[in-house]
Amino acid sequence: MDLRAPTAGYARKYVYLGAIGLLFAMAMVCLPLRAAAHSAPAATQTAAQTAAPVAAAPAAPGATPPNDQRSLSGATFNTAPNDPPGEWHSQARDYANSRYSTLDRINAGNVGKLRIAWTFSDGTLHGHEAAPLVVGDTMYVVTPFPDIAYALDLTKPGASIKWTFQPNPSPTAIGKACCDAVNRGSAYADGLLIYNLLDDHTVAVDVKTGKQVWRTKMGNVKTGETMTMAPFVVGDKVFVGDSGGEMGVHGWIAALDVKTGKELWRAYSTGSDKIVRIGDDFKPYYRWMKGKDLGITTWPAGMWKHGAGSVWGWISYDPDSNLIYYGTSNPGPRVPTQRPGDNLWTSTIFARDADTGMARWAYQTTPHDQWDYDAVNEDILMDLPIKGQMRKVLVHFDRNAYAYTIDRGTGQVLIAAPFAYQNWSTGMDMKTGRPIINPDKEPKPGIKINNLCPPDLGGKDWQPAAASPRTGLVYAGIFNLCMNLTDHDVGYLPSTPYDGMQMKRHAAPGGNLGEFMAWNPATGKKVWSIKEKFMTMSGALATAGDVVFYGTADGWFRAVNAWTGKILWSQKLGSGVIGQPITYTGPDGRQYVAIYSGVGGAATIKTDKSLRSFLPGGGTLYVFSIDGDTPGMGTDATLESTRASAKP
Amino acid sequence: MNLRAVHQSLIVAAMLCALSACEGGSSTPPANGLPSPGDVAAVPVGQLAGAPDEVASALSTVNPYGGNPQAIQDGKALYRKMNCAGCHAYDGTGNMGPDLTDAYWRYGGLPIQIYKSIHDGRGKGMPAWGKALPPQEIWKLVAYIQSFGGSMPARDYRHAHQGDTHGENVAPELRGLPSPQPRPSGPTSKGPKT
Repeated sequence: MDLRAPTAGYARKYVYLGAIGLLFAMAMVCLPLRAAAHSAPAATQTAAQTAAPVAAAPAAPGATPPNDQRSLSGATFNTAPNDPPGEWHSQARDYANSRYSTLDRINAGNVGKLRIAWTFSDGTLHGHEAAPLVVGDTMYVVTPFPDIAYALDLTKPGASIKWTFQPNPSPTAIGKACCDAVNRGSAYADGLLIYNLLDDHTVAVDVKTGKQVWRTKMGNVKTGETMTMAPFVVGDKVFVGDSGGEMGVHGWIAALDVKTGKELWRAYSTGSDKIVRIGDDFKPYYRWMKGKDLGITTWPAGMWKHGAGSVWGWISYDPDSNLIYYGTSNPGPRVPTQRPGDNLWTSTIFARDADTGMARWAYQTTPHDQWDYDAVNEDILMDLPIKGQMRKVLVHFDRNAYAYTIDRGTGQVLIAAPFAYQNWSTGMDMKTGRPIINPDKEPKPGIKINNLCPPDLGGKDWQPAAASPRTGLVYAGIFNLCMNLTDHDVGYLPSTPYDGMQMKRHAAPGGNLGEFMAWNPATGKKVWSIKEKFMTMSGALATAGDVVFYGTADGWFRAVNAWTGKILWSQKLGSGVIGQPITYTGPDGRQYVAIYSGVGGAATIKTDKSLRSFLPGGGTLYVFSIDGDTPGMGTDATLESTRASAKP
Repeated sequence: MNLRAVHQSLIVAAMLCALSACEGGSSTPPANGLPSPGDVAAVPVGQLAGAPDEVASALSTVNPYGGNPQAIQDGKALYRKMNCAGCHAYDGTGNMGPDLTDAYWRYGGLPIQIYKSIHDGRGKGMPAWGKALPPQEIWKLVAYIQSFGGSMPARDYRHAHQGDTHGENVAPELRGLPSPQPRPSGPTSKGPKT
């Protein structure tokens, strides 16, 4: 059977899918018991042991973990919405934002045999920060500006294009995006591919036809506002937010109806309690965040209107409490002396009711942020034993270089520990939840401060971490950066940067600019790390095969032993990697790993010439399999013959 | 507060501009020796096929403030006050917006082409400043940008017109192209006092 022939027909496809299903069933039976326990689509990922030690000693680097290796933290998480194990429907794969896959055909034992199966060049050159999606037999990718969506038919050799959707956003948006004309990907829901356009529109495309179903204008690009984040879907709602923390925007998150694109609610990050959607249910853990209209009163008169707090990062969701979690950007202007006060609710993590948008609690990670430390990074929802007690937490690596383990029911900080080099604070007051500021590193206009760490890009930027319930660890690409900073007073002029930071970034002690690390969220300690020459700005992927994947800005894509941090495999790609790896099962039953190559984004913003001498841009998706086996490969030209040789 | 003072002065400036004709467009040359709005209007966006050769004469327009130290200082202050630095960086090497210190210009690197880009704005996010700033301020901004050294000298207008690089050789076969003379009555580098 040659599926390249257009007349192949659906009947054949169904026969074929049935065969794959059978192979799957056989695989489940044949797999070792341990792997099977973790591959089952259970509602909650549980570690093998119920009473896991809180601080097990990490394995020696390079050592092979014994088969009965126990989770190092005892962490588990809810795998809802429990999408099919071989598919990938949202950027983070699940509500908890784990970026964990139960697939394990590619594992620590055979990952060294990964080879390129096929590639796809999308014809665009801005930074590629998105993960592809896989739904059924189709892969969906969204490019940076001009935000083109492609559907790739995975049943066809070479994954040919099924349809192309060109939304034609306004080119004006290119010059309003602070950190390259990027897009962080799409979400799948109810037959729709939903994503944001750089010029402030959210679009929904019919995945069958590639035709637009709805398009909603969410902002005005002429004010300097853009949209780069990936929508996040829960049930019949899709959540989106804006970008423009450097442009004096008035940041917000909004819920749209999945079917129609109609806006259901919008919550601003600054302003009155009414527009921030703070009501009687709002119960922040710390007293300094309690009071009326703090989104106005923690600012000089009127400055909240251009105080930023844009919502350009990740959203997670807890089905048990019906709360969404997300963070807001830095305040505007970036010059802190112009805006005395805590500047709520910028650089803040919010918990909100998913249906009403009403805030339940908030925690400002960096009060009166002076260094551009957004709180937009991902919040991974985990259940962790801490001091002998199971806690429902969120794990958050902030731009300010602190890793937080926070009680996600109350907003109480349980653990706050630096994961990257920093000197802006001298510690954390665990009683008040406020960082203790180093007075030597507080910028004043016209005065140069040398070696301020981390710089605006943070100890880690938006590139999302991944979590494994097997190791109990969280894996993240991080930075090792400092800056020399001179602030300048700025005025608000619509459509221009409301910025004022003049800086030169450089490496922190050690000389390496990047690092990939494993973190124990129950103890607040680094378990292992791999130093990288350039900023490590790709997302992470963890799998049940005990392999973790990430890429580097100089173009290496790596597979690492999840327990030990030993590099098991590396492949140099065409351009640097700032995308997010995923893994999926193809229609042929093989497990694949996919990653975009195309450096850009904040990794190449032009003030950092010393940091960007690595590679030019690109826009190619790379897909890997064991030995590069895939339909149509080499002389094995037909799907029929490929299927016959598939090894379950 | 400093910030609000800046903001208000801008609003006032914009209102004054709206009331007077300071955004240009009239055919009468300004009394203060600035290049005529007609010449500015004749400058095409980048290198356009079909643009008449006569525009070369407008392209040769010299910035009356070019090389004037006081004007360059004023231009630097404007560059910061108008948030140009936010996009093009405090040292002009570019960030969200293009590098202004190198020899590559999307819309032309001659003084009058730079003026035109600031005045009219450009399609990838560059705001139009012709309403908010009077012509002499824009010319001072151009003088500051010229001081970075990446722009093209007005005398090399012919190369610039054809998208060539300053100082490059021209093959004999191409030498027969029309070569309009620079404007005889054009402003010189003496310029108005600042």
